[in-house]
Formats: sequence, C-alpha cells, structure tokens
Amino acid sequence: MSSNKIVLTSSDGESFEVEEVVARKLQIVGHMIEDDCVINEIPLQNVTGDILSMVIEYCKTHVDEEESEEAQTKLKTWDKEFMKKFDLKTHLKIILAANYLNVKGLLDLVSQTIADNIKDYTPEKIREVFGVENDYTEEEEAEVRKENAWAFDEADTPKP
Amino acid sequence: MASSSSLSSTSVPSLMKDEKWRNWAELPSKLTSSILLRLGAIEILENAQKVCTSWHRVCKDPSMWRKIDIDNRNDRAAFKYNLESMCRHAVDRSQGGLVEIEIWYYGTNDLIKYIADRSSNLKSLGLVRCIPITDEGVAKAVSKVPLLEDLEVSYCLFSGESLRDIGRSCPNLKTLKLNRNPEFMFSNSGFDDNAIAIAGSMPELRRLQLLGNGLTNKGLNAILDGCPHLEHLDLRQCFNINLVGDLKKRCLERIKDLRHPNDSDYDSDDDSD
Repeated sequence: MSSNKIVLTSSDGESFEVEEVVARKLQIVGHMIEDDCVINEIPLQNVTGDILSMVIEYCKTHVDEEESEEAQTKLKTWDKEFMKKFDLKTHLKIILAANYLNVKGLLDLVSQTIADNIKDYTPEKIREVFGVENDYTEEEEAEVRKENAWAFDEADTPKP
Repeated sequence: MASSSSLSSTSVPSLMKDEKWRNWAELPSKLTSSILLRLGAIEILENAQKVCTSWHRVCKDPSMWRKIDIDNRNDRAAFKYNLESMCRHAVDRSQGGLVEIEIWYYGTNDLIKYIADRSSNLKSLGLVRCIPITDEGVAKAVSKVPLLEDLEVSYCLFSGESLRDIGRSCPNLKTLKLNRNPEFMFSNSGFDDNAIAIAGSMPELRRLQLLGNGLTNKGLNAILDGCPHLEHLDLRQCFNINLVGDLKKRCLERIKDLRHPNDSDYDSDDDSD
C-alpha cells in the first residue's frame, strides 16, 4: 500500500528512501512498479543525486493534487518560489531530469520558468547565456531575414 | 561500475557528465519545443528562431503554432511590426493546425477570413477591440470553422442575423462574449434582437457575456429558455433589464455565476470610475 517505501538511487550512487506514492509521481518508476517484479530499489542512471533530490522535493509537495482553489494557489506560489532557488543551468538539468523521469507537471513548470527568463532576450544574449553557437551561414541568415515581411522598416521601402 | 570508457550508448545528453554539458543546442528538440512554445509569437519570430539552425527548425514546426499569441497589449516594441502580416505568417506556419488565437487591436475582416480559410480546426477565436471588424465579417469567417467553441468579439455591434448565422455555422459554440464599446453603449441597441438570435441558434452555450447589450427582460427569458446548459451569465451594463421577481429567481436558480447589470466593476477594462 501507500506506506511502502522505495529506494531511488542516482547515477552517482546517492540513495533516497521515499514513499511509494511519491515515487509513482516519477512515471518511469510508476511503470516499473506496474510491470511488477517486486522492486524496492530502483537505479536511475541518467540523473545525479543533487538533481534527483530536487525532483523528489517537487513530487512530495505535489503528491496529493487537491482540487480546491486555495490549495491550487498555494501550490502555484510554492512552485514559483521553488524555481527561484535555482539558476538557469540548474533549470536545464531539471528539465532533462523531468523528461527522463517523466514528471509532466515539473516539465511544464520548468519549461515555463525558462521561457519566462529568456522572454526578453535578443538572439545574441540567448547564445551568450546558454553557450549556443550561431551555426547559420550567411545565406541562411539572409533567408530568415527575408521571411520577416512584418518589419516596418523593410516594408516601408517604396514599391517598384 | 564502468569507468569513463568509450560507451557511446545513447544520443540523449546524460546528466552524469553534466559538467561537460553546456551547449543548449544539444537539448532534445522535444524539450526545446516545450520551452519555446511558451513564448509569444513576437519573441519566437524575432528572437528564438534566430539563435541557431536547430532552434529555427523547432520554430518552424506546425506544432509550435497551435496557439498564436501576438502579445501587443503592453509591449511598445509591437509598434515596430506590421502585426497583421506577422499573424498571417504565423498562421501559415500552423499548416491548418491552429486551435486558438486571440487578436488585439490589429484584426480586420481580411485577416480573420485569411485565418478561417486555413484553420478548419479552430476552437477559440478572440477579437478584442478590433475596430475595423464588422459583424458580417465575423459571421462569414466563422462559417469556415465549424468546430469553434469559444468566440469573443468586443467593440463590434452585431445584428440578430449575423448572430444567427454564427450559431448555425458553429453548433458546438460554448462560450460567447460580446462587449460593446462603452462609448457607443446604446446606439443601435436593437433591444432584443441579439438575445432572440442567441436563444434560437446557440443551444450549447455554457458561458455568455453581453456587456452593455440592449436586451430586456423578454430577451433574457428567451435566453434562459433557449440555452438550457448556461452556467455563467454576465449582464453588466445591460440597463434595460430589470432583475426582480420571478425573473431574478429564475436566474439565480439556473445560473451558477451571475453578474448583474449594476455590477459595474470593469475587471477586464481600463476605465473604472
């Protein structure tokens, strides 16, 4: 039953003992439990202990999804504060972990958080912050620029 | 355990070697997409897609454009762009998959025709303060989107005939919001023609907002008769209604969420005096 404990082990050998209901929030674990083979220790190879502990904290808080508006608002506030604790690099690690462990709510939350953070960034700033290379060739860049017929300065040029 | 040998098992970036993992371009495109689709259209088209070619690919995928949100409500930068042209481009990218769109200020009859002609899956259409739009234009456009469930049009006067056309074209319509321009509150307020048209052609309505409509008690009774599933009814500024006696009782019994004509708090508007 729900008082069952399950041990989750990270790639770097850290172990976390959690209630089965919490572990089931990680859908990858849920599937393993359903596929039976009485498991009480589950190795999770693609996530390190520091990130796994954050995911578990999220799942513990969201373990009973209450319907009431008050509970929802409280959870939303918690989500916001929780995300504020981490920098962008950690957000990226969390999004990979949420994807691998299949925690839908967390995946949505961290996607939204990252989107909110880069909302006003120029392409140059995004590249700088995240270490992304500009791999456009000059021709491709011109192609993309040609697409944006919505920029007034170009549309304003007199028509032949 | 295997030490750092040359085990090239999967292409998914592993968090084990996260110290080396710094390049966001390596993020699986499913995750890049999960992030970028939460940006507005202006941010996607002007910034995100220019970052690198893999992001450009993600931004061109029709799945990114099921909902189009060009946020020009507070953004001064929006004045730099021809939003109608940007919107058409976004609609093209959706390749028929558009489900939800809200247009503030820049909508025209031509634009909504363009959208409707290419978006047979459209479920939600919002036209907020688009002055050039006419009721015939809306009725004509929505005749191409039979799956429409939510329609909001503000600052546009409707005839009963146009509303009936809309009801006939969109049998699944569940939400209708028609808000008058406060400056023209009672001009051309055909009294009950709107209400009778709604009552006669939109039986599936759950949510109806008629701000500043000229309907009377007779029209309201018709709506209660014709829309048996109605749960939310907003009649603010509808001063031809006198909500007393049996009608009041009937409303309170039937409607879960009722806003009275005199509930004058403009919760979504700027003039609150």
